[in-house]
Amino acid sequence: MNRGNLACCACALLLLAGCSNNPYPDADSATRTYYTTFVEAHRTLDPAEAYNVSAHKVTGLVYDTLLEYHYLKRPYTLIPGLATEVPVAEPLADGGVRYRFRLREGAGYGDDPCFERGGKGRRSREVVAEDIAYQLQRLADPALQVQVREPFSRIVGFRDFMTALEARRRADPAFAALPARLQYQQLGGIPGLRVPGRYELEVRLSEPYPQLLYWFAMEFSTPVPWEAVEYYDARPGRARFADHPVGAGAFQVVEYQKQSRVVLERNPNWYGYRHPDAPAARYPSEGAPGDAALGLLDPAYRGRPVPFVDRIEIRLDKEDIPRFGKFLQGYYDVSKIIKESFDQVVQSDRLTPEMEALGVRLQKAVSPSVFYLGFNMADKAVGAAAGARGRKLRQAMSLAVDSARFIELFLNGRGVEAQAPLPPVLAGYPEGYRNPYRQVDLERARRLLGEAGYPEGIDPQTGKPLRLSFDTYATSSQVLLQREFFVNEWRKIGIDVEIANTTYNEFQAKLERGAYQLYFYGWSADYPDPENFLFLLTCDMRRIPHNGPNSANFCDARYDRLFAQMEVMPNGPERNAIIEEMLAILREERPWIELFHRIDYSLAHEWISNLKPFGMSHPMYKYYDVDPKRRAELRAARNRPVVWPAWALLGVAVLGVAPGVRTFFRNRQ
Amino acid sequence: MEAHHVSNLLVALLLLGAAATGRALWRNRLWREALTELWRRRRLSLLTIALFISVGLLDSVAWIGGEVAGEDLLASHEARSVIDRLFLKPAEGSYSAPFATHTFYNKQPLVAPAGHPFGTDILGRDVFHRTLKGVRVALLIGGFTSLIAIPLALLLGIRAGYFGGRFDDMVFFVMSTLASIPSLLLLIALILVLGRGTWQVCVALGITSWVGLCRVTRGETLKLRELDYIQAAKALGVSNGRILLRHILPNLMHLVIVTFVLLFSQLVLSEATLAYLGIGVDGSWGQMIDQARTELSREPVIYWNIAAAGAAMFTLLLAVNYVGDALRDILDPRTLREDA
Amino acid sequence: MLAYILRRLGYGVGVVFGVLFVLFVLFFQIATPDDIARRALGEKARAQDIEDWKANNGYDRPLWPWQDFRDNQLFTHYHSMLRFDFGRSDVDGTPIARRLREGVAPSLTITVPIFVLSLLLTVLLGLFVAFFRETYIDIAGVFLCVLGMSVSILLYIIGGQFLIGKLLHWFPISGFDLDPSVMLRFIALPVMIGVLSAAGGDVRFYRTVFVEETGRDYVRTARAKGAGELRVMLRHVLRNSLIPILTRVVVTIPFLFVGSLLLENFFGIPGLGSLTVDSIQQNDFRTLRVIVFVFSLMFIGGQIATDISYAAVDSRVRLE
Repeated sequence: MNRGNLACCACALLLLAGCSNNPYPDADSATRTYYTTFVEAHRTLDPAEAYNVSAHKVTGLVYDTLLEYHYLKRPYTLIPGLATEVPVAEPLADGGVRYRFRLREGAGYGDDPCFERGGKGRRSREVVAEDIAYQLQRLADPALQVQVREPFSRIVGFRDFMTALEARRRADPAFAALPARLQYQQLGGIPGLRVPGRYELEVRLSEPYPQLLYWFAMEFSTPVPWEAVEYYDARPGRARFADHPVGAGAFQVVEYQKQSRVVLERNPNWYGYRHPDAPAARYPSEGAPGDAALGLLDPAYRGRPVPFVDRIEIRLDKEDIPRFGKFLQGYYDVSKIIKESFDQVVQSDRLTPEMEALGVRLQKAVSPSVFYLGFNMADKAVGAAAGARGRKLRQAMSLAVDSARFIELFLNGRGVEAQAPLPPVLAGYPEGYRNPYRQVDLERARRLLGEAGYPEGIDPQTGKPLRLSFDTYATSSQVLLQREFFVNEWRKIGIDVEIANTTYNEFQAKLERGAYQLYFYGWSADYPDPENFLFLLTCDMRRIPHNGPNSANFCDARYDRLFAQMEVMPNGPERNAIIEEMLAILREERPWIELFHRIDYSLAHEWISNLKPFGMSHPMYKYYDVDPKRRAELRAARNRPVVWPAWALLGVAVLGVAPGVRTFFRNRQ
Repeated sequence: MEAHHVSNLLVALLLLGAAATGRALWRNRLWREALTELWRRRRLSLLTIALFISVGLLDSVAWIGGEVAGEDLLASHEARSVIDRLFLKPAEGSYSAPFATHTFYNKQPLVAPAGHPFGTDILGRDVFHRTLKGVRVALLIGGFTSLIAIPLALLLGIRAGYFGGRFDDMVFFVMSTLASIPSLLLLIALILVLGRGTWQVCVALGITSWVGLCRVTRGETLKLRELDYIQAAKALGVSNGRILLRHILPNLMHLVIVTFVLLFSQLVLSEATLAYLGIGVDGSWGQMIDQARTELSREPVIYWNIAAAGAAMFTLLLAVNYVGDALRDILDPRTLREDA
Repeated sequence: MLAYILRRLGYGVGVVFGVLFVLFVLFFQIATPDDIARRALGEKARAQDIEDWKANNGYDRPLWPWQDFRDNQLFTHYHSMLRFDFGRSDVDGTPIARRLREGVAPSLTITVPIFVLSLLLTVLLGLFVAFFRETYIDIAGVFLCVLGMSVSILLYIIGGQFLIGKLLHWFPISGFDLDPSVMLRFIALPVMIGVLSAAGGDVRFYRTVFVEETGRDYVRTARAKGAGELRVMLRHVLRNSLIPILTRVVVTIPFLFVGSLLLENFFGIPGLGSLTVDSIQQNDFRTLRVIVFVFSLMFIGGQIATDISYAAVDSRVRLE
């Protein structure tokens, strides 16, 4: 018994010796490291394929683009990145346009063994225009899972290149066995892309498409070294290129553990060190109104060369609550506010005194996103086939949903009630726009439902309440609660909506077959242009038959005509008038019940400076700076272990057992 | 026939069946003694279980019509159970603490001040109501699953143990195969395959849980088969079917009952794990716990959801485990007791 | 003896075949190749992409031997699994064998300490409670055990993270790192919870074993001869209870390798348990199939080893 007790005590001591809640090696405290998180393991970090927030946190740092966004200015403004300037569209005789990019000289890729192909011991190489052409050809390669082909297919010959590549590969096994780069070369590349000089790239489009420049500010069009693709993809046993990013960004990956973390350090060959005057290589000296008051134009940083941090560590942390807990303890530098802790952090839209005492700062920004309930317009009961009846049904259902209450219950008020598919932060959103069908009015909803032929919600065909199905693939019970909220709203007008909760596969299959009625979805802007939202409801984007993102299957000829006009226009009153006309169509037709635009509340600790919420998924970490000394002090102060409960528990156990032991032995004797 | 008619009918059948079984057991002296002994030892636990069962049954008797609450136009067209009819107040705005008069966060007055003994959830629904509804789900998971697993296990176990031979080899092979696949993974795979829903979860649980009982019955039958009186009956030319029914099956009943009781609590706990993985049964306590688990880190903390579901589950399982323990002692002749 | 070993091995191989068949039916017949392809390719995949993907991954061939005896997926399934050629994940194309290898170490760092500590603690507590049987310590102990058994492990985890991680700052709330300088602090909390959550059932089981053993004649004889109670417990009872304890323990060893689904997932430990949950959530059937297969193999191997060692110790077993 005694021996056992001793062993137990030894174990406890051993545990207490390791007693500290610092998740990083102690030596890391002194480094200028920025700590943040990602929430799901990356499927791929190939810049042609990666298309989600977690992946962009890495690809955005490793892969620099020709153009970038100004860090501070709003509305969003493009500035040159790897390119020397933002090109202007040159109209061509055939109705198309041409963009001419010029690359900065002396930009280098991050260090990587794949460059040994260019000579022994070589670790890097200069970025040339050919690399961008190569990446754009990869976008057209059917073997890659590219999700954004559509916008790039306006490059002359892009689609033909794709079909030719596919056909040639099928027909000619010898060709298919060649490295992809040689295959592209043999086919002569994409006609709309020309590389007249080492640093020059010409992009020809078959029609005007002003949004193209935004796509050149995203990682899809980054320069990619062919050496890396061939080195990592060709041989078995080596990490895939998708797991081994090599790019011309300010940072390079030094450690990548898919299931736990990514560590990045400065790329010594980054163009910013050669061209300290390049606009994206310096901290901006001017910003949006109010930025100065927020300390974003601190003279200590204004105009100084970036990056400021030496190292970035991104940890995989899937669960909200532990992640936020670690933020409060000081182990992550920034965090979104999670729903559960909202009231602890913010009260009446201000930080609580406890948070202010912690030195935490709060920043809010409406994100360019929209969340909505969609009707399947191809459905018999709720869709276009039901004509005016269907429209009135949709209007009635739209009138019953109280998104203000939804925002309050599930988002702690961190949302703007949506009136239209467009988020109000975009140019072109009609100032003060109110959608009459998005104001809760149960009386009117019931009246419209009656006019639609469902008095009190009763379906005359069955004599029972109208039954609709709400198709979801919610995996967590918490999401299910949100769905139940909507169901309860519609109960108020007598419609019996049933949640059809299936697996993801079944849901996708339903989308393909068109066998669904209502669904919940969201969309986040790829770039800040109304076109990026309004295209979601065009005929060409329908799920059936085009398998596009228009899952509502909404199709309206007049809307499409207006869209085609609006798409190629510059921002201005004329464009706004057309946008307003388009919104009017959606208002009456109601393919969507627009719910809310998220407001991002982000928190930052006092030791980190120059933070401004960005909205789109682009890591702007090169502008951030941290004070490691202050961080180490505060972490230590806030995380002293409280040990007395352990002793207390032990005491209670001993006291509880002791009398029994005593009596027991007395009796035995 | 509509769902609630089926449910009502099943309740009637269940009550009849329970009455018949009870009578049959009571007539047998040994069983009567065992049951009396059980009652003497575990009165509180038995009463608790009885209470839970009655709630579950009351929640299964439903009809359309009657008084309806608030703005809900649908309720008058839906079948609602006796339990539902006890909670006629419309939903509140959002969270409210037990017996509170105002909502928890923005202090709106409640429709039913001090009327919610366990508070309300995020959608303003009465947590006591939801907890009571969870009783039926828990009993359904435990009961329906046992209904699948026990007959299957008995049928295969007894046949295999008694006749042996090819059939025994086969059953034994199937058992070893299923036992070699980690049960939680098999369970998850089965649910992914069968789809979500109550009966799917029950079937999956049934498939993963019959093996344990089957092994026990097979082993026991093997032993019984060799006993003198069975050999004598065989020698006298009593038919196999008769031996199985009259001699083997009754001698296995204690094992079945004990296994069932222990299986029950295991099933309810498994469902909680499934709920966390997002493939549980709608309305179960597991789902309530999963929905509420993030509320614990709210500030000020919302404890009543998770506490109500956790406590209900805990009470039922505690009672069941206690009764199971006592049953094992009483029914198993081998258990050596100090006082014996 | 050799004959027995061979027969037992042969039977084990048979069970492996059986397991593989169950897996095939579960993962191929019902989760169609279209489902797998769609999940792997994402929402925007076109019909042609799905066909290509299926062809590239061999999912377009007939399933059963009677459809095409030479080229069917059933044979391929057996062939690749039995050669441990696991292929690549349906979701992100990484070799499954590598993911398994990477996952074993994190899983073991959690499960082995849980296993050892839990064994020590529960046997000791079982002895302790059995020693004081029929006193209030025993009654309270059994009550606490049943109490512990009636609580879902979810509640243990949630409570543990809240109390120890967040309020008391003893250990990180969650996370993992194989770096030895910080590993201990990461595993402390999950290990504590793992030990605690299983303690109820184990202590109760060991108590029953010990109490049963104390009732036997030799114990009475020993007592009659004047041996001290403590000595009786440690020398006689504990030693004679080793067989049931070992039987229970050996069965759990294969479970060490799969890790704990919930613990790993809540604590962000990149082990096999997390891999399993991820595969389930992403419909990565190929990975899931391999995990289940590997586990079953270990389980069967463990069983065979146990049986053979029993047979070696006790010749009567073989006759059964």
